[in-house]
Amino acid sequence: MLTHPSRDWSASIQFTAMDKRRRCSPCREFDPNFNSVAKAWTKVPAAERNAHFFGTIDFDNATPIFQKLGISSAPVVHVYPAAEGPRRPASGRTGPISYEFTHGFDAAPLAEQLSRFTPVTIPYKAPIDFSQLGTFAAVSLVAAVGIRFIYPVLLNRWTWAAVTVLVSLVMTSGYMFTRIRGMPNSGANGQWIAPGYQNQFGQEVQVVAMIYGSLSAAFLMLILVTPAQLSPSRQRAQVYLWTAVIFIMFSVLISFFKVKNRGYPFKLLF
Amino acid sequence: MAVAYSLPSDLSPATVTNTSSLLRIIALALISGAAIASRLFAVINFESIIHEFDPWFNYRATKVLAAKGFYEFWNWFDPTAWYPLGRVVGGTIYPGLMATSGVIYNILHALNLPVDIRNICVLLAPGFSAFTAWSTYMFTKELKDESAGLLAAAFIGIVPGYISRSVAGSYDNEAIAIFLLMITFFFWIKALKTGSAFFGTLAALFYFYMVAAWGGYAFITNMIPLHSFALICMGRFSNRLYVAYSSWYAIGTLASMQVPFVGFQPVRTSEHMAALGVFGFLQIVAFAELVRSHVSSKQFQSLLFASVIAMGVLGVAAIGGLTYKGWIAPWTGRFYSLWDTTYAKKYIPIIASVSEHQPTAWPAFFMDLQFLIFVFPAGVVLCFRELRDEHVFVIIYAVVASYFAGVMVRLMLTLTPVVCVASAIAISSLLDTYIDPTEPEVLEENEGRAEPTQAQTATNAASTAVSPKSGSSTGAKKAKKSSPVPPADPISDIMSTVSAAVNPSKKDAKARGIFGLDTRLVVVFNALGMLFFFVLHCTWVTANAYSSPSVVLASQNPDGSQHIIDDFREAYYWLRQNTPEDAVVMSWWDYGYQIAGMADRPTLVDNNTWNNTHIATVGKAMSSSEEVAYPILRKHDVEYVLIIFGGLLGYSGDDINKFLWMVRIAQGVWPDEIQEPNYFTAKGEYKVDEGASPAMKNSLMYKMSYYRFPELFGGNQAVDRVRGQQIPKTGPTLDYLDEAFTSENWIVRIYQVKKEDLLGRDLKSANAFAQGKKRKRARPPTRRKAVAL
Amino acid sequence: MARPKTTVAPSSPPSPALTHAVQSLWKAYNETTSSRLKLIDAFLLFLMLTGVIQFVYCVLVTNFPFNAFLAGFGSCVGQFVLTASLRAQVDPASRTEFKEVSPERAFADFALGSIVLHFFVYNFLG
Repeated sequence: MLTHPSRDWSASIQFTAMDKRRRCSPCREFDPNFNSVAKAWTKVPAAERNAHFFGTIDFDNATPIFQKLGISSAPVVHVYPAAEGPRRPASGRTGPISYEFTHGFDAAPLAEQLSRFTPVTIPYKAPIDFSQLGTFAAVSLVAAVGIRFIYPVLLNRWTWAAVTVLVSLVMTSGYMFTRIRGMPNSGANGQWIAPGYQNQFGQEVQVVAMIYGSLSAAFLMLILVTPAQLSPSRQRAQVYLWTAVIFIMFSVLISFFKVKNRGYPFKLLF
Repeated sequence: MAVAYSLPSDLSPATVTNTSSLLRIIALALISGAAIASRLFAVINFESIIHEFDPWFNYRATKVLAAKGFYEFWNWFDPTAWYPLGRVVGGTIYPGLMATSGVIYNILHALNLPVDIRNICVLLAPGFSAFTAWSTYMFTKELKDESAGLLAAAFIGIVPGYISRSVAGSYDNEAIAIFLLMITFFFWIKALKTGSAFFGTLAALFYFYMVAAWGGYAFITNMIPLHSFALICMGRFSNRLYVAYSSWYAIGTLASMQVPFVGFQPVRTSEHMAALGVFGFLQIVAFAELVRSHVSSKQFQSLLFASVIAMGVLGVAAIGGLTYKGWIAPWTGRFYSLWDTTYAKKYIPIIASVSEHQPTAWPAFFMDLQFLIFVFPAGVVLCFRELRDEHVFVIIYAVVASYFAGVMVRLMLTLTPVVCVASAIAISSLLDTYIDPTEPEVLEENEGRAEPTQAQTATNAASTAVSPKSGSSTGAKKAKKSSPVPPADPISDIMSTVSAAVNPSKKDAKARGIFGLDTRLVVVFNALGMLFFFVLHCTWVTANAYSSPSVVLASQNPDGSQHIIDDFREAYYWLRQNTPEDAVVMSWWDYGYQIAGMADRPTLVDNNTWNNTHIATVGKAMSSSEEVAYPILRKHDVEYVLIIFGGLLGYSGDDINKFLWMVRIAQGVWPDEIQEPNYFTAKGEYKVDEGASPAMKNSLMYKMSYYRFPELFGGNQAVDRVRGQQIPKTGPTLDYLDEAFTSENWIVRIYQVKKEDLLGRDLKSANAFAQGKKRKRARPPTRRKAVAL
Repeated sequence: MARPKTTVAPSSPPSPALTHAVQSLWKAYNETTSSRLKLIDAFLLFLMLTGVIQFVYCVLVTNFPFNAFLAGFGSCVGQFVLTASLRAQVDPASRTEFKEVSPERAFADFALGSIVLHFFVYNFLG
């Protein structure tokens, strides 16, 4: 019926494999989203509603169709534009357009993308996430109760200092890079240093932040703590200790950087 | 008082101050010299040339300004850009940069120094880096002292994070913007410290200059209100804050609206609402404070407090309501994408496609800031120790800027100054502590040795108890404090000293210090070694990474000498010499400014990416087949198509590597005609060899790139050196375009669009006909032509 | 700053305690403020009324030359805050906060700020 040339309606078809034995977890993740968009479509007036249809084809019920269309993976969404009538696309194309899962399996982008092929925009509204709301309410309740105990902590400048330093250390170790690019924690074959200067794994954030943090701490020790030490021999030991820490950690950092940027000509200890 | 080494004591205080101020001036002059000199690698290695892309437009606009005067420039309509739309240049740029060089140009000519405008443009950024060093010195001086200021100036002078945007020839807005950023912040701090409207006015004037010069002025617009708001929340409201903020905001906002490109934005967009909101809140708080000073009734005061809160909530609600009703524009995409990092990728691919908008990986931080990156948290902690109003500013700046720099590579530029300032504070505190020759009194370590040392302390204290603060009482207290600590437990020992160190107010200054000369030497030597290493690093990075003009490429010959690859200019000058002046050139938008600047020909799109649809049109033409692209080209009067191809030389920034962005941007506008997956192989790989997808092989970009490429290899397998893939022996054919020019190393290829066939035939069949004739007449056909039939 | 606003600021309905408080405030103000400061306060009140009139005109009638409205309103607000700054700087009660600003210096600052402000206002009137 979909391949019929005089079809004046369009359709979005989901090809999926919901059976447990197929072990298609993306299918199970995507299916409720597709259904909620389809359900949202039932709310538009009948005139428009009958110009676009939603359908689901499961692999186990319709293996021949999958074979015929050459679909070897699931889930897939095909949009069949109208082949006749006023909504016929300008390019005269009748073949299916496949939906890209570039924005993930979420319902909102799906509704937005499909709305381009429907006569009116799909009135999809994200359902209110009650569990998230509940968590938020609980947290704020706990915070409101605990504010009396937390308050002196909030007033302490060193709490804020710790937060500030942590934030800047994490940010300057490339945390946002791994967040935005969705980098894995470590490589496939167990390596944890991503090759290349413009690249990094999640684990590198921790290592680099740790190195930066220890170097900063060593400097702070030398500036603030060591002068307050009032016995000469201990103070001497501390001075040498922290100087050694700085020197060794810095060497480690440089050699780590050399791994990332092979052309770097300098080195300290290693 | 014991000293580790003796200082000459026969100098009068006047001599010391005079000498130190002279030394400071000399040091600043040397720092300025170093800052300028390290930015001249590009001029020495290559020549005095404008770099990259955007600077070419700025340079072209400055030439107009210098030649025709300011009024002409203000009303300049450029018909050659965005053909056929044109561009109103005066109203769509930040004119500060051009105006600056125009003023310098006119001054120099008034002094009868006939300097070429190009040299002014090339050397503007190094010149302003010296001013940046000076303003950073002034800023840091307000936070700590002169020696920290000098260190900060030295850091910002040579740090690669700032050099990357200010080498000679990178004639871009950032060249002067960092100076303006630092000087505005300096005057803000100064105004806050003194409570003088004079400095507030100066801050507003430099803020105006900043607004006229760089779109990043929004950073100041939000930093200063954030600082003020934080101060109010900390209970640090003062009349000085009121004076400084009100004078800055009232004058600065009105001034910023004079720039045509900004217009009414300061009262109509969400980016500026924080400043307005804090301004209103400050008025309410100030008024309440004034009333409070007159009435002492407790009930009335709590009522006042409640009404201030209520009016604050009301104001926020009003701004929210106005935004909802659309009177105040919501955040623009560029601003929004800083918070919701997936936003740009979803909705504005053109922003996401720019390389300087990518997130920053840690090696980039280390490359740009080296050891400053881990010293600066220490400096921030030291700011917490003092925590005057201006230290709060540095702390907020550090947090905000390190987040932004992580999200976008180009915002590394705003992080760099605060990193320099904070690390200078840390390093200078370190040096202060370890160079200071005075030694504290020796205290006993444990009870075993308590008695003799205590006696010694007592005599010490008695002999040196000139100031009433020091002496045996503190010493005894210390001794009592440290005596319960088990001597063999270094950790708890450290803990107690940490707790002593973080509470500076309770501390007696005399009780802190360093014993012995060797400890001083090892720390100072270590610090100087790191500073020296930093200089080496900066020089290396500047020379190797940031001094390439990217218009001229360099490679090494086998014998180590330098070989200049000048394909871009070769091609642009070919266009300038051999094509009619109104010939429209189509290229991807990256090269629009360069074509306009060097070849002086109209372009369809350029680096001012204001019209997404127009760019998508070019993307569509590039990514569809010849038959589809040809009508598009003809409709836009395109006569030449210019592409960048690096396959022969291994130049990786070429158009095939950018091709997917063209597809994506075109897909955003014509989703049912262009689809990204069609350009991948069945396995989802991006390939240009035999296995490339049909859409890829038929696309105009692919055909233009590899047209006649295999012939170059004379029967051997043709290899694309960028992608390391083998190109099919029978290259693509072109029916609607003619190859017009290919540069020496094939980096730039220019094609001429054929006119419609004189006999009214479709060009493909006309071509086939001509080739068929040729085949009959001449040498045996190549297989490639046979396929075309 | 301008006195009459106190009757507006507390949002609760007037009660005997409140009127009493306002009265005491007024009394305290009259007693403790020097005549110079009262002059400044009168000027502040005038500026505020001018600003309010302009704003009401803009909302009710038209905002058509929007730049002219912004310039006029901005000049009122700017002048208001500069004058308020001057008031804070010369007020003997808050003198301790301004160690580096003498009353003469404060007036020079005020004059310079006003000149710069009105330069931009003039340019913006169009």
